[in-house]
Amino acid sequence: MRPAASSAVVVENLVKRYGGVAAVAGASFEVDAGEVFALLGPNGAGKTTTLEILEGFRRADGGRARVLGYDPANRSTARELRERIGVVLQELAVEPYLTVRQVLSRNASYYPNPRGVDDVLDIIGLAEKADSRVKTLSGGQMRRLDLGLGIVGNPELLFLDEPTTGFDPSARRDAWEVVRALSGGGSTVILTTHYMDEAEALAGRVAVIANGRIVAEGAPRSLGGREVGEATIRFRLPGEGSPAGGAGSAGGAGSAARVTLPAGLEAGAGRLDDGTVEIRTADAVSVLRSLTNWAHDEGVELHGLTVERMTLEDIYLRLTGYGSDGKMEGEA
Amino acid sequence: MNRVRKGDAGLVARQLYYEQLLFWKNPFRAVFTIGFSVIFLLLLAGSVGNSRSSLLGGLREVQYYVPGFAAYGVMSACFNTLAISLVVRRETGVLKRLRLSPLPTWVMVASTFLSSLVVSLLEVIVLLLVGRLAFSVTLPANFLAFVVAIVVGAVCFTAMGIAASTVIPNEEAAGPIVSIVFFVLLFLSGLWYALTPSSVLAKVAGYFPVRPMILATFAPFDRLPGTSPWAWHDIAVMAIWGAAGVVVSVRRFAWEPHRSG
Repeated sequence: MRPAASSAVVVENLVKRYGGVAAVAGASFEVDAGEVFALLGPNGAGKTTTLEILEGFRRADGGRARVLGYDPANRSTARELRERIGVVLQELAVEPYLTVRQVLSRNASYYPNPRGVDDVLDIIGLAEKADSRVKTLSGGQMRRLDLGLGIVGNPELLFLDEPTTGFDPSARRDAWEVVRALSGGGSTVILTTHYMDEAEALAGRVAVIANGRIVAEGAPRSLGGREVGEATIRFRLPGEGSPAGGAGSAGGAGSAARVTLPAGLEAGAGRLDDGTVEIRTADAVSVLRSLTNWAHDEGVELHGLTVERMTLEDIYLRLTGYGSDGKMEGEA
Repeated sequence: MNRVRKGDAGLVARQLYYEQLLFWKNPFRAVFTIGFSVIFLLLLAGSVGNSRSSLLGGLREVQYYVPGFAAYGVMSACFNTLAISLVVRRETGVLKRLRLSPLPTWVMVASTFLSSLVVSLLEVIVLLLVGRLAFSVTLPANFLAFVVAIVVGAVCFTAMGIAASTVIPNEEAAGPIVSIVFFVLLFLSGLWYALTPSSVLAKVAGYFPVRPMILATFAPFDRLPGTSPWAWHDIAVMAIWGAAGVVVSVRRFAWEPHRSG
């Protein structure tokens, strides 16, 4: 009997305590079928514990979890559930004396509708190492085999715990392609990661977990008010500590070409060490308009003019790094 | 528990195949398990094997060493090798990965046991052949009693091996702990020299499973008139230890590394 599932994963007020300490303290979120969902958070925030509860490896102390409609803690349906999910965890070894192909074939036999072993070898790029023993694989190849073992059962839902930690940049791109291909094939993917660019590149939605609770959730580009929050405008004025080739002569105090901002802009401006002017504002359009009108009228060049939103990393650090729980929730 | 499905027998067979691959592809494990018992037998039988022992009713010593080392082979395949490999698998995360796959626990346990049994039987056959061909040892007179002793012993020591793995903290400790326990019991149990049956040592050793295993394996060989080939008392002692091993295993078995917990 297979329960009907509209969402791939539903988590409500999940609680898990170790000793007296709550590793997960009332986390709630939902993941739709077909979605790529990233769980971000510092070490010890509760990401891995949450994942392990969903995988049925740990039992929650409170709250409710449903995975593909199953209760992951229910031992009588554990086999059915595990036939439909794939799990890629960190630092789990594979028997060193078997070949890559033998390991994949063996694990494929655990599932009712496995992916073809050659297919998996192609996807993870280990076709040439198929008949090598596992113990001869490099660290990166081993991680790819991990990924292969996660997808060999043709899972509807794939859990990836920090899938590219330790990868070099090109290997990361390859792994991302695998995740995109799986997602394109209709699989749901839940991943944890430390890399903001990874979350941004892969996930349709991210949730930030801190102290066992979800403190923010949304699309990467709008997380934590990123779309509407303040922007930073940066530029350099002629004669103001400009780099080589700038207008200033080698002379002493107060070079001839020195330009000053109008008072209205100067009030909100700060200076970086290299003389770059930085204006933080919630109303970038108005500030830019005054700035460029002024520069145009006065014939002043604005060297290196940029406008930046907060990066996902800025948001993440703000959500996880500072303040009490209450403050973080207020911001989120 | 997960229900048994049609096709699970095939799953056990496939898993057994890969367990065997794993065993034979690890040269150290294969040589250590099989080779040791043969080397011990050759050394002991070659040196003192032809002297006759009054403790054995005037039989040649080698007639005792062949079943003794057959018993040793079963114990080392099922207890030593299994306990150490389970600790290594647990600590390196192999067991956790298995737990997250759909492979039912009972299939894993069954295939692990059958794999140890296959290795045990091979070892027993090799020892019987060496004994027969090199030292003209007679084969078991009651073959059924011999097979029962081997199989009950394999079950008992597999259960004990799994139980032992649950109390060993990490893979560095596994080899030393298992070896010390095993070899001390072997010495006390009279594998290298037959014990006087009425001695205190023999009585104490009789409460542990190793001596019963040696005696139950020895009994089916052609011995003195009036002795039974069925060592029921010894078989019962092994069964009790095996049951205790099952209880400890079920209560304490852990899938993830102890060091992370």
